[in-house]
This record gives sequence, structure tokens and C-alpha cells, in this order.
Amino acid sequence: MTKLSGFTFIWNAIYRLAVPKQPRKIKTHFSNPSLFIATGLAVFCCLVFQPALAQQESIETTRVIPHSMGETKITGTPQRIVTLFQGATDTAVALGVIPVGVVESWVNKPVYPYLRDALKNADIVGLETQPNLERLVALKPDLIIASKFRHETLYQQLSAIAPVIFLEEIFDFKQTLELMGLALNQEQTADDLLVDWNRRTEHFRQVLSSRDNMDWPIEVSLLNFRADHLRLLSRNSFSGLILSELGFEHSSFADTNGWIYKKLTSKEALPTVNADTFFVFLRSENPAVDENYDNWRNHPLWKTLKASRSGQIYKVDEIVWSLSGGIIGANMILDDLFRIYDVPPLTE
Amino acid sequence: MSKEFKALLLLALLFVLSFSASLTMGQYPVSLGDSFLALVRFDENSVEHVIVISSRLPRTVIACFVGAALGISGVLMQAVTRNPMASPSILGINSGAIFMIVLVSTLFPSFAGHGLIWVGIAGATLAGSIVYMLGSLGHGGLTPTRLVLGGAALTALFISFTQAILVINQDGLDRILFWLAGSLAGRTLDAFLPVLPYISAAVAVSCLIGRHINILMSGEDIAKGLGQNTFLLKTLIAVLVVVLAGSAVSAVGNIAFLGLIVPHIVRLSTGSDHRWLIPLSGLAGAVLLLVSDVIARQIIMPEELPIGAMTAIIGAPLFVILARRNFSYG
Repeated sequence: MTKLSGFTFIWNAIYRLAVPKQPRKIKTHFSNPSLFIATGLAVFCCLVFQPALAQQESIETTRVIPHSMGETKITGTPQRIVTLFQGATDTAVALGVIPVGVVESWVNKPVYPYLRDALKNADIVGLETQPNLERLVALKPDLIIASKFRHETLYQQLSAIAPVIFLEEIFDFKQTLELMGLALNQEQTADDLLVDWNRRTEHFRQVLSSRDNMDWPIEVSLLNFRADHLRLLSRNSFSGLILSELGFEHSSFADTNGWIYKKLTSKEALPTVNADTFFVFLRSENPAVDENYDNWRNHPLWKTLKASRSGQIYKVDEIVWSLSGGIIGANMILDDLFRIYDVPPLTE
Repeated sequence: MSKEFKALLLLALLFVLSFSASLTMGQYPVSLGDSFLALVRFDENSVEHVIVISSRLPRTVIACFVGAALGISGVLMQAVTRNPMASPSILGINSGAIFMIVLVSTLFPSFAGHGLIWVGIAGATLAGSIVYMLGSLGHGGLTPTRLVLGGAALTALFISFTQAILVINQDGLDRILFWLAGSLAGRTLDAFLPVLPYISAAVAVSCLIGRHINILMSGEDIAKGLGQNTFLLKTLIAVLVVVLAGSAVSAVGNIAFLGLIVPHIVRLSTGSDHRWLIPLSGLAGAVLLLVSDVIARQIIMPEELPIGAMTAIIGAPLFVILARRNFSYG
């Protein structure tokens, strides 16, 4: 025997011992009957008994929340919520439940400056008009706040991800606050916020209506300037609703529930926005908007309008007056109005 | 009096009527006398005069030029492609201009305004060249069918690119949505003035080459046999189309059907004599756009319909009627 054949012999021996014989036919898990039955039984048990187990845990904290697309069962207090429109984001922060996912803001992306501190750990799940469902799933939410106005077609998909409640539309911040307070198990906080709101608005109304050097109620137009047109907001818009509640009147054309805003592209339409007072907000981050505003202001028809003649044109922040959509934004509108009309702050 | 001359008189009358209608009709009532006075003896204290000069006159003037440009570019397209269905929007030129404008105003938001017209022409040139190159590839060279196929493909490509940009930049969409559908609102004369000489020159040249186009229409070989430089003529037509359509689109956005419909309407009375067809198409295009603008302003006051939608509403039924009458092109 040569050295090589000796090594070969040893190598063969070691190989046969170390490496087990691979069966020629590969048997799957399921070709072994008892294993198959055991797995099937385990899966069956999980499927059947799991809801029962869950029910046992939280049977006392399940709520049924009616909303604009039906009813949703919510168990316990949701911790990981995702808000799919600006007003919901604002309201969630106000209620003290910081969302794990929010949709992008319209300007000053990704979130408005006044919410940046609160939302510094929140994930952006896409656009309000186009939420990214995959990102939503990855966040593993236990409640989604959506709106029928924007997300009606996503009802099935959202319901499959997590319990979801739909607000009818996005402009009525009180509706948003009430429904979200109910869903998030923060009814007391929501009530407190509303009580505070009502006190502030009542105070404003009283102070202004008791002034005798002022023609109350004041007629007002809400003007949102864009780069190539002017938006007139109706009494049904976010700030329109707030102003109506405070006792302001809207110019006759805007005094309607039929629409939220109208796009006016021709300056000949200026007589339709005529009112005693204008609240003007410009879409920011775009120099063309300032140019457009100047164009409109310099037109002779603008100078014939009541607000222009009396000088009662107030420039306010678009984010607060149009885009925020929630109770925090609403209170900031009140702050602006308190300041503009010299109303002393409410003392306890 | 020949048929063509009668058509000219009719169109001239319609032009005067629609011009006056555009100056007088609107949300703010202005009488005919006032609008005339505003033009000749402007009184800056009169609100009516100011409205006419600042708001209605620019729209009217721009509508005239853009309508003429689109009408004539439609005739030229149909002549060079020998396809009665051709128009700048079919050969990708409109969509190329729009794509370039959307791209530039997304990348450089402050660029908006005066420079965009050149961007539009650049886009139109780009689209036109690509379509020309695509159509010329392979043996057989440039045939009308190839041109139309390349145009259709390129139109689809540019439209989807444009939409992709607008989806990514939704705020940009808000800014140009109204322009995208075609709009004369808010257009000022000083933004349009720089391009005016080019459109006028292109219109003038188009009217002058009518005779040569007639020869081209009799067939490529015959035209060459008669000593015409068909290559030069076709290149010239291409340049004219790009200038006319590109500047029209960048001034007012995408206006559909005008380039398609107007030549066919005018052909009812002029046949295919391009010496008459081209100028009368220009006139008819202006009339059609003026009428569309007036209607678009009145229908949903105080808002406005985009004028591109209006020309489609008027143009589509007309097109169906014309198509059913089995017009013959030749």
C-alpha cells in the first residue's frame, strides 16, 4: 500500500462517518403522516382559539365606534395610530396621542413647523391624497384615522391593515376632535378642549358685540392667493366654520354650503368677494404667489371693494387658517383674531 | 364672386363679431360703445375702460394670434404628412412643449413667466426632431404613416413623463393645472409680446408658401420633377409648425382640436388650394378660439372653464359631422 492509498482510505473513512448519507428521495414535512397531523392540529388550534383568547383579555374594553363608512370595533386604548389627513394629525397631538405615522404636509414639508417638535419621531406615510399602504403596514398600527372625503376608495385595504375610522370630511375640526376622542379613549381630554374652545369663542363674541364703535357683525371674505388664481373660501371651509361660530358674516356669494372654495382666475370676479374685511393668506414658498397678489391688489376693481377702501385687510398664515384643520390650528386662529381685534385674553 | 372670396368675407365678418364679443362680454358688463372708446380714447378713471384694456384686450389679442397659429399649423401638418387627421397634438409637438415647460418650472420654480415661451418652443423642437428621426429610421425613409406612428408614441411618452413629474410635485400641479388644460385667464400682453413677432413672421411665411405646398401635394416625384426642392420645403414647414405650435402651447397651454378641425371646416369652401386654405384657416382659428373663450368665461361664472375643454366640446361634434360626410382629401 502506498502512502496515497493510505490517506485515501483514511479520508474515505472520515468522510463516511462525518457526512450522513443523503437520501435519494427528499421527504417533505408532510410525507410523514404523524408530523403532518401534528402541524395541522397546531394551526387549527391557533386559528380557532386565538380570537377567543384575545376576547378573553379585553372583552371589557372593546368599543364600537360608528363613523361615516360604518362601524369599527376598537379594543383597549390605541397606542400606535396613523393619521391620514392634516386635521387628524393636529387633533391627535392635541389629545396627547402622538401618531407613529402621519401624511406629508402641503407646505413646509414634511410636517408643519408648529407640529415639528411633537412629531419628530413620526414616520411619513406618503401624501394625504395618496398614502403609501406598504409603509402603513410596516408601522403595525392599531388604529388608522382616515377621511371619506379623501380615502373612500381605500376602505377595504385600510380595514385589512388595522381598525380604521373615517371622518365624513376634513374641514369640521370639532367633528374630528369628538370622533377621535372617542376612538382614542381620550373623551375627557376632548371634552376639556371643547369646553375651553367654547369659553374662548363666547368671550370673543361678547367683547366684540358689546363694542359700540364697531359695526357688529362684520362681513368677511376669506381669500387664499395661489400662483395663478385666487381661492375664495366659503362658510363651510375650516376657517369659514370658525368665523361663522364667532359671529362673523360671510359675503353673500360665499355664504353657502354648496362648495368649499371657488377658483377665481379673472379679476372681473372681484365684485363677488366684496366684504367689509378680508383675511388674506398666501400660499408660501413661491415668489409667483406674491407677484400674483400684487397683480390683484393693483387692479382698479380691487380698489372699489369695501375692505380695500377701509383698509381692513389682514394678512394671516395660510398654515394656520387653511391647512391645519384641527383644534390646535383653530386655537391659533383665535389667537390671531384676539390680536387683530384687540380682545383681552381670557383670564381664569 | 368665387367661393373662396365669399368665405373670406364671411370669416372676416365673424372675426369682427367675435372680437367685439370678447371685448364686451364678461362678468362686468361693458357696452360696445365703451369698449370702442376704451381702445381709442382711454380714460383711466373709468372702470369699464380699465377692464377692457387690462383684462379683456390681452385675452382677445392673444386668442387671435394663438388661434391663427394653431389653425395654420394644423394645415401645414396635414399637408406635410398627407394625413387629414394630423395636427400638432398628434405628432407629439404639443405634448413635447408641455413636458419641457413642466420640467423647467418644476426644476426652476422661479423661472415662470416670460422665459417659458422659449422653453415651449424648445420642447416642441425636441419633440419634432425626435419624431422626424424615429420616422426616418430603417429603410423606406420617412413616410407619412411612420411619422404619425412616431408622433403617437412620442405623445404618449411625453404625456406620461409630464404626469409623473406632476404626481411627484403635487404643489406644482396646483400652479399649472389651469394652464395645462388651456387657459387665457390672467395672460398679460407683455408676457406675450416677445413672441409676437415670431408668430406673426411664421404666419406670414406660411401664407406665402401656399403655392409651393400645392405643388408638393401633387406628389413627391411630380414636385421634384417640376424642380421643387421638396426637402427644403418640408424642413421649412417643420420649422414653421414647431414655432407656431410651440409658442401657442406655451402661451395658453394645451388647446385640443383646433389644429385638427379648422382646416377641414375651411376646406369645405376652398378645397385644397393652399393659397387660400392657409390664410383662411388662420382667420377661422382665431374666430373659433375667440368664440370658445367667450363661452368659457360665461358658463360657470365667476369661475371659468379651461378653454381647451371648450374647444374640445365645440370641436368634437363638428369633427364627427365632418367625418361622417366622408370628406375627401387630395
